[in-house]
Amino acid sequence: MSKSFSKWLLALMLLFVLVLAACSGGDDSEEGTGDTDTDAKTEEEATEEESGSEDGIYSIDDFSPDKTDEGEPIDGGNLNFGLVSDTVFEGVLNYNFYEGNPDAEVMKFFNESLLYYDNNFNYTQDGPAEWEIDEAGTTVTIKIRDNVNWHDGEPVKAEDLAFAYEVIGHPEYTGVRYYAVEDVVGMDEYKAGETDTIEGLEIVDEKTIKITFKEPNPSLLASGMWTYPLAKHIYEDIPIEKMPEDDATRVNPIGYGPFVVDTIVPGESVTYTAYEDYWQGAPKLDSITLKVVAPETVANALETGEIDVVDSFPTDQYPDVEQKLTNVEFLGQIDTAYTYIGFKLGKWVPDDPDKPDGAGSVEMDPDAKMADVNLRRAMWYAVDNDAVGERFYNGLRWAGSTLIIPAFPDYHDDTIETPSYDPEEAKRILDEAGYEDTDGDGFRETPDGEELVIGFASMSGGDTAEPIANYYIQAWEQVGLKVELVDGRLMEFNQFYDRVEADDPAIDIYQAAWGTGYDVDQRGLYGRTAAYNYTRYASEKNDELLAAGASEAAMDIEYRKDIYRQWQELMVEEVPLFPTLYRSVLVPVNNRVTGWSIQTEWNDAFHEVGVTQEDPVLP
Amino acid sequence: MWKFIVRRLLVTFPQIVLLSILVFVMAQFMPGDALTGQVDPNVSPEIKQQIRERLGLNNPWYVQYTDWIGGAVTGDFGQSFRFKMPVTDLIEQRIYNTFWLSLVTLIFMYIIAVPLGIISGRYNDTWLDQTITGYTYLGFATPLFIFALVMLWIFGYQFGWFPTSGSVAPGLSPGSWDYVWSKFQHLLLPALSMALIGTVSTVQYLRSEIVDTKQRDFIITARAKGASESRVYNRHILRNSVLPIAAFFGWEITGLISGTIFIERIFGYPGMGALFLESVLMRDYSVVTALVLLFGVAAILGALLSDIILSIVDPRIRIK
Repeated sequence: MSKSFSKWLLALMLLFVLVLAACSGGDDSEEGTGDTDTDAKTEEEATEEESGSEDGIYSIDDFSPDKTDEGEPIDGGNLNFGLVSDTVFEGVLNYNFYEGNPDAEVMKFFNESLLYYDNNFNYTQDGPAEWEIDEAGTTVTIKIRDNVNWHDGEPVKAEDLAFAYEVIGHPEYTGVRYYAVEDVVGMDEYKAGETDTIEGLEIVDEKTIKITFKEPNPSLLASGMWTYPLAKHIYEDIPIEKMPEDDATRVNPIGYGPFVVDTIVPGESVTYTAYEDYWQGAPKLDSITLKVVAPETVANALETGEIDVVDSFPTDQYPDVEQKLTNVEFLGQIDTAYTYIGFKLGKWVPDDPDKPDGAGSVEMDPDAKMADVNLRRAMWYAVDNDAVGERFYNGLRWAGSTLIIPAFPDYHDDTIETPSYDPEEAKRILDEAGYEDTDGDGFRETPDGEELVIGFASMSGGDTAEPIANYYIQAWEQVGLKVELVDGRLMEFNQFYDRVEADDPAIDIYQAAWGTGYDVDQRGLYGRTAAYNYTRYASEKNDELLAAGASEAAMDIEYRKDIYRQWQELMVEEVPLFPTLYRSVLVPVNNRVTGWSIQTEWNDAFHEVGVTQEDPVLP
Repeated sequence: MWKFIVRRLLVTFPQIVLLSILVFVMAQFMPGDALTGQVDPNVSPEIKQQIRERLGLNNPWYVQYTDWIGGAVTGDFGQSFRFKMPVTDLIEQRIYNTFWLSLVTLIFMYIIAVPLGIISGRYNDTWLDQTITGYTYLGFATPLFIFALVMLWIFGYQFGWFPTSGSVAPGLSPGSWDYVWSKFQHLLLPALSMALIGTVSTVQYLRSEIVDTKQRDFIITARAKGASESRVYNRHILRNSVLPIAAFFGWEITGLISGTIFIERIFGYPGMGALFLESVLMRDYSVVTALVLLFGVAAILGALLSDIILSIVDPRIRIK
């Protein structure tokens, strides 16, 4: 009796393992696309945010990105920060070596960029260093402020920044950041091991460095430079390939940010104490405690005051807890990411056939199933993305319009007409383009009279992946298009990208997402030579605009805006892909916290953060 | 006895080799690798390719396998791509957490199981027995992860008696009394949750063994000879009934290092189970293969231990 019971129990457990694995796989996959910090449209902030919505539909416009202070901060106090993650943080606590996002969340309290950003991700003069650029637009002089010191008292020097470039460009460097330094003059020779010094780096004096780049590029002034020095007096004697695992990175990480790392419990928590000599003045708080909180328990932890603030709240839980969590204020803004549906229009041709992963370019296939722009546009008209956002994300995601998202307020153009839900229009376009149902099976055939079955690839993950994919398939069915999931099911994350990258002929359209990062330059995603140009779309107009957007002339912001406006229009005309959903990011902050913000221009000014009382406010 | 152990070990060795090959080949079949997840427009496929080349991910599996097994024999399982540190050090960080959690769980399990099993078996079919049996059925029916979540919610958040995540409170220095105490506090709730559910099969085993043994001829003989009831139970019935439990003990030891995925996940407890799950999802192969090998070896040794314990308590089954 009991034997068979434990057998059943075992079977049941195995089943749960699978279920659990599947679930968390999805969480990773959906968000694994780059930076999470975001920016908001400041012109239409609403201050009242606890209004709640009776039909459970919310709008990001009702959230403020800045905390409303409720009282004067006390002297000192401890803040509890929750790092929402279903994995541990890896503990590679140096900007030059880390890869996982959780580590970035841990680092931001004790280290920071030498240059600060404004809300358009342009560099400002307000950070630990000031910069200027020469007439030619290729040489940037960075001058570190005199009072910027490492936590051990050593000044942050120009040679520390040069050292970071030398380590990242070194042949023995094991990380992925070479892209950040490759445009410096002389870097290729250095990387190849031909020289020991980098020609484009010139240390002017202890605090000043000149960096010369190969070409003028407007992105240099908008998050395009590597601005994280590496403490030379500490790392100097460590072999480069051992740096990421050394105690200097994992156990006693150093920075020049407002807080100093006190203790680290690997993977789960970190305590920080105030850095009294911080260059912007001593922090108001005495200390910060960071701990990893699972997404399943984050709402409880906020309710009990165990944590005061988190890096990012799981938005799907928001409708369940917004009434209950009266002790926190939810900040919100537009996330730097978008979901999209892409059409496969060609394939990737490597320059050297023996190196399929090497450099190459995109080749459009005029016979591709999705080659007709009318078909693509009709498919955009056929789907109601606002309904998807309301139904599955309670309005915290909403229909996207252009490919440069509103998180880039300078560049996003909301005046461009984009297709919105109109099935009649979709049908009309398809009729005109000759897609008609000739054999009476309820689905349209191609203009040549052949059967049209479109293969749709979509990732598994979370509760909503399947219903959303099904919704799209049904919406297209409404206008007479037969769309089927590739292999009849959703794909696991790794498999999905493997097949999309390899231009699997079974995939005609796919749903994926991009994190936009801070750089408005689109060449890395949509250029002719970009391997990440998964739709394999290329055109001369596109090449021209993308090149113009990154040219010397685009150092003029008005010119650059105009170029990217034209590019957004081009993408709406050509529809190689269309954004389906824009996203929001929510950050709950306990009412006792003052001075918190999630805007980019706030630049993680944790030294300004205070608390109004010793203990957290409870509901 | 020694001959038996040596013979068992000899059989064990090819098992482990086979297991390691199997693990390695299966890992190769998983779609994607540690770099697939880096769908970052900044990191070009060329850079990824260079890293793959340097990590040897492009070599055929048997070359990778020989490299790996060569290191593994000397205790070097390579570098974790995700954590950027040696796998051996990474496992060392986690294995203590899991070991203590499992040990405390094991102790709780036996503390609960032995008295309940004995009461239930001795007074079978009374209301007391029915209550205990009821509890065991409830235990069988309750999924561990739901039970753990409920425990966390009630005792962690509602009453606030226990810490709700992590293995130790932040900010304590290792080695201090506060540190040890905090570690113990963090263990209690997950261990208790696991023990309350995990113990029910042992209770059932013990009960049915006792009920079974009660009717044996030698018990009737013992009673006929005038042995007192407590002597009958303590000397005759119990000794025979704990056999299967002793046999299971070896298996339980295996659990000491493999940890449990649910509990560690729900309580945010960084142990081996959580490490394993994360590594599979992130395709951190060097960690996955090292862990599976470790779990495999533990399982094989656990079985060996079970056999040895059994042969000590029950001389009849010793292999000649």
